[in-house]
Amino acid sequence: MIMSFFDLHMHSAFSEGESSLEQLATAAKQLGYKGICLAEYYKNDEQIKKLKTEIERIKQKAGIEIFLGFEARNLKELNILRERRKRFDVLLVRGGDLRLNREAVETPEVDILTHPEYERQDCGMNHILMKAASKNNVAIEINFREVLVSSKKTRSMILKHMTQNIKLAKKFKAPIIVCSGALSHWDVVDPQCLISFVNLLGLELNEAKNTISKVPERIIKQIKERKSEDWIVPGVKVVK
Amino acid sequence: MKQQYKLKFLLPTLREKDRYISFQVISEEPIVYEDLEQAIWNTMLDFSGELGVSKTSVWLIKNLYDSEKQVGVIRCNNKSVQQVIAGLGLISRLGDVRVTFKILKVSGTIRGLEI
Repeated sequence: MIMSFFDLHMHSAFSEGESSLEQLATAAKQLGYKGICLAEYYKNDEQIKKLKTEIERIKQKAGIEIFLGFEARNLKELNILRERRKRFDVLLVRGGDLRLNREAVETPEVDILTHPEYERQDCGMNHILMKAASKNNVAIEINFREVLVSSKKTRSMILKHMTQNIKLAKKFKAPIIVCSGALSHWDVVDPQCLISFVNLLGLELNEAKNTISKVPERIIKQIKERKSEDWIVPGVKVVK
Repeated sequence: MKQQYKLKFLLPTLREKDRYISFQVISEEPIVYEDLEQAIWNTMLDFSGELGVSKTSVWLIKNLYDSEKQVGVIRCNNKSVQQVIAGLGLISRLGDVRVTFKILKVSGTIRGLEI
């Protein structure tokens, strides 16, 4: 069976990235991805409209699925994005801050908690947070770019924290997702490399494959459900 | 003249089982083979350490490198395929040139790679 691969965390020039959306989509298509998701920073509602138009244009040109995501960097942004949840596809929360990590895993509207160990001396997660992530189906991200841009002592500490997060996520059955976290189209990584990477961090090979195919597919399925008129809030929909 | 002795081949059951990984280097400018070899060794040594690399039996096969298509073959043992592939993913620059690696195929024989 041929697997479909998705990378749900990339930044384009609309936020802090260096490459245009077209460059990112072309690079991802070349490496064998079926879909990507932009993780932008929310400014205003006008920006959502502009991004949607651009995504529609590039989608047809590059022949790849593109989803619109927003990454909340603080509690204020998370609350604003929760209110506008139906207007975009994926809600990511930038991890690292303990309060934000907790809020993210306790919010069912959130799809992905990105790099919970970001700029921390610990892994940023414990058994309580992991249980909440599992209950609310919030995927814990393993961000490849963090490892790519670090070296020596920092890289070994990041790898240690990622391994610990994977161990906890496996124990409490929280979903794990691996993303490139690309800022440029040169940072987009081959899916095989990502699978091998999480495999080395402690996941079995089939579990590693799920982090880049089945977990993103589940999030995409939720996007489609959310877009239907019957959807109200997570877990509540109109039955006719 | 001193007589040269050759080692007898090991029995198949005693030999290490090889895997060949074919890859393509996608780059903004054409790359030089020596830079590629250097980058692979440096990254593997950084990521896995000297002892780790020694256990992978990694080797870049020079005569299978196609400089036009930028396609190459790397050999390792069957137990360290994931480690080598992850290592290749960590190479983002060859000198000043930005690169991405695309893994094409993993096979037990060079013929199986169909290059």
